[in-house]
Amino acid sequence: MPRRLAILCLSATMPLGLCAAQRPSLRFSGQAIPLLTTTNAVPGGATLTEGRLVQPVLMLEGAALGDHLQLHAMGDFEGWTIQHGQLATGAYGEGYYDRRHPHTYVHELMFTGGDLLGRWDGDVVVSLSAGKGFAPFGTDDPMSRPPMLYPANHHLAQILERAVAVTAITAGKVTLEGGTFNGDEPEYPSQWPKWNRFGDSWALRASGRPVSGLEAQVSRAHVHSPEHRQGAGTDQEKWSASARWERAVAGRPAYALAEWARTAEAGGAYLLHSALVEGAYGLGRYRPYFRLERTDRTEDQRVFGEPFRSVRPHLDSSILGITRWTISTLGAQVRAWRRGAVAFSPTAEVAFANVAKVGGGVFDPQVFYGRTSFATLTVGIRADWGMGGHRMGYYRGTPMAEPMTMPMDHQHPEP
Amino acid sequence: MSRRVLPFLLGGLLAGCDHTTPLVPTNVAATSGDAQTDTVARVLPAPLVVTVMVEGGNPVVGAPVVWAVQSGGGSVTAATVTDAAGQASATWTLGPIAGAQSVHVTASGRSVTFTATALPDAPTQASKNAGDKQNAAPGAALPVPYAVLVRDQYGNPVPGVTVNWAAAAGQGSVSPAAGVTGAGGVATTVHTLGPTLGADTVTATVPVLAVTLTFVSTGLRQAILVATVPIAPNYGIHDTFVRNGIAFVCAWNTGVMIFDVGSGARGGSPSNPQLITTIATAGGETHNAWWFWNGASKQYLFVGQEGAGTIGSSSQGDIHVVDVSNLASPFEVGSFQLTGAGTHNFWMDEPNRILYAAYYNAGVVALNVSGTLSGSLSARGIDTLAPGGPGNTYTWGVQLYNGSLYAIDMLSGLWQLNTANGLLSVAAGGNNVPERYSSDLWVANGYAYTGTWGTRSAPGNAVKVWQLNPTTGAPTLVDSIITSGIGTVSDVEVSSNGKLLMFSAEYGPNAGFHFYSLADPAHPTFLYKYPVGGNGVHTATFGYIGGGVYAFGAKDPTSPALLILDVTSLTQ
Repeated sequence: MPRRLAILCLSATMPLGLCAAQRPSLRFSGQAIPLLTTTNAVPGGATLTEGRLVQPVLMLEGAALGDHLQLHAMGDFEGWTIQHGQLATGAYGEGYYDRRHPHTYVHELMFTGGDLLGRWDGDVVVSLSAGKGFAPFGTDDPMSRPPMLYPANHHLAQILERAVAVTAITAGKVTLEGGTFNGDEPEYPSQWPKWNRFGDSWALRASGRPVSGLEAQVSRAHVHSPEHRQGAGTDQEKWSASARWERAVAGRPAYALAEWARTAEAGGAYLLHSALVEGAYGLGRYRPYFRLERTDRTEDQRVFGEPFRSVRPHLDSSILGITRWTISTLGAQVRAWRRGAVAFSPTAEVAFANVAKVGGGVFDPQVFYGRTSFATLTVGIRADWGMGGHRMGYYRGTPMAEPMTMPMDHQHPEP
Repeated sequence: MSRRVLPFLLGGLLAGCDHTTPLVPTNVAATSGDAQTDTVARVLPAPLVVTVMVEGGNPVVGAPVVWAVQSGGGSVTAATVTDAAGQASATWTLGPIAGAQSVHVTASGRSVTFTATALPDAPTQASKNAGDKQNAAPGAALPVPYAVLVRDQYGNPVPGVTVNWAAAAGQGSVSPAAGVTGAGGVATTVHTLGPTLGADTVTATVPVLAVTLTFVSTGLRQAILVATVPIAPNYGIHDTFVRNGIAFVCAWNTGVMIFDVGSGARGGSPSNPQLITTIATAGGETHNAWWFWNGASKQYLFVGQEGAGTIGSSSQGDIHVVDVSNLASPFEVGSFQLTGAGTHNFWMDEPNRILYAAYYNAGVVALNVSGTLSGSLSARGIDTLAPGGPGNTYTWGVQLYNGSLYAIDMLSGLWQLNTANGLLSVAAGGNNVPERYSSDLWVANGYAYTGTWGTRSAPGNAVKVWQLNPTTGAPTLVDSIITSGIGTVSDVEVSSNGKLLMFSAEYGPNAGFHFYSLADPAHPTFLYKYPVGGNGVHTATFGYIGGGVYAFGAKDPTSPALLILDVTSLTQ
């Protein structure tokens, strides 16, 4: 391979495996989903229909020094396309309710030193990573999973967009990860982590791959004052456990995830649980999928005149109660067009949800929403450029030259 | 040949050779009349004289000279050619504009400029130049000084003219009482309004003109921001307690910040608060405070900790006792904890040394705080009462009035409680604000005023007015103040003279301080609003300092600050 070509290897049209293993490489990819959502899971008993461009991202992955130096970078442009959030049943977090918040423009910018000890530790892979990205906690980012709408448990099951340093040790089929980061979550898309809070929170994750295609993890995190940027808010103690299974069944790609998450905030004053299962199965060009979820969320006082936003940072006790959202999602995606790494996949999904009050508090979902059962229909086109299903947020220093993951396209690798 | 003879010979030769050869001037000089000073529009006493010369200094006879007024608007009467001495002269009548004036003289391409200084003429007129018709609070110094402009017949400002100032109607004052006009013809004075509302008059007399001008400004009811004290963004400020020139600012995890705002301890004032010290109580989350002197040697500060809670059902947070006998060195000496509930606002029966604390889901707690306090105060609990019963109690605040304890409950509204040395029982009221969550209360004049919070079936944009039965004290709703553009009324207070109702408003375009007249206590009328951006004002309380009345407000996030307003005029 000519030297110049070896330095820059664009896998959008050239699989990374074609790059020489010991040569530096760069890989670009991206995705976006123009979609239309109609739902009655909105305050006041109304029905809303909105068209949005969600998850418009560009991703850059790089490797050098024989994968000993790796880069994971992602630009997310939802700050432009869903400035006021995206309708999503039961979603909450970062000051939004019943809408998913836009992510920050710099969604991920992580540098990893992989296999730092080389042969000194035998087959053990020790890596150090630092930058802005995911804390080693919980499950895959919903962006990389089959449904178009995020689950309600996003803020229970992932910790992302933090200034984070991660150490990962992989020995055989087991990986241990530990990370420290800033507890404050973003408040708007252009906001950076509060650097002087770096180190006030931590996360640990233990993952194992006992059999091919199965990965299980248990993780634990302490997040200091996530909702008060200056650090005077309440802390969260988080747990997550999950099993992710992905392999071919009858020659067709299959995927399943079961996860449980628990967040205790303010010394246990607020206990939030989530259980979720989801799955997808590839049938040629078609991929049906489902998700079942039961997730608790706190109900904050909403902003005057903005029922989809909560007061942040709130004063006094502005938690009005806890609600439990049970959401069933069914969907199907069809690969309509593909050229090289570019593909367009029309997708339709329907979600049925029910909300119930858990414990005390003045929040009454029947009063607030005018109903307790909801239906949401979403149609969209997943536009994918070499990225589909890529599992984000793992900085383990393992070789970059794994194929991209996509339940209907590939046998999934272990990240 | 000597050098002295040569010029004459050359001159004779030149004179004898050709009389028709013109002499070309090489220089034009101002011989006299430059730099004179006189009054505008007058003829300068000395004529302007120029001399036109050739090279070598010899005068030129008959050279044409052009005179032109360059600035000032005057005129010249002049000879247009030089005489035998090579000179031409002009008479310059200054223009009407005071200041530097000039005349430009040109001869055969050479030129010179005469300047003169024109002084204003005698004063002929005086007028108000600035400061008239201002509005301010009674007793306030007007921000714009009054100014009188004295001019001559041509409109030029005249300096050095005496102007006498005198406060007329309104009992205000002026400083200085007399002055002279400056270079711009202006004399000024600062008017401090008198203590009463309405028009306040000052006269300006110009003796030399026998003219008197009258300035009229108006004393209005208004709030004036006198200080903004930034607070660390540690969740900002919650409540503030002000007494005897000391402000206890409850700044969440920062602790209680103790300010001298007029006690004399540190030279502080409402406009210049001086921090004495900060005391962080155990667990932080400092929400409210009450300063109490036990009648002996001890002074205590009761501090409410507001922990995490769920509105309507659960709460956390203890009462912390801080010994503030030495304000500069406070220290925590004890605490009171009620399992399963957290405290909110206090009221104290100081003569009987009973602290009444709103306790959210536990209702109201009465504590015996007599004597020396230390350690756990659990044995000092006198009584606890959940006025609305389980599931219907989330009490925000309490206040003693005419022997009854009034409690405002977020869920069940306004209650009248009996208290017998702290033993509590329901007397009347309750379940009387079904459409809104209630917030704070204040009782005065035989009326209770209660705020509202958040959104129930109606938003928290109301202040409820309750008439208390003159005999029984039972509350009856008689009016409501509805304020558009706010989401919560988080604090309510009536001034000590009973004339002014203040409430703090959050969340919305009309967030800030709101003031109402209680001339008719059953039907308050709007007086004034002091808007505060962001989320508005979380709490507001009155402080009485040096004869003035001040509102201490908590501006919360995202840039927390203690706002101090002078609201003296509003209480009149």
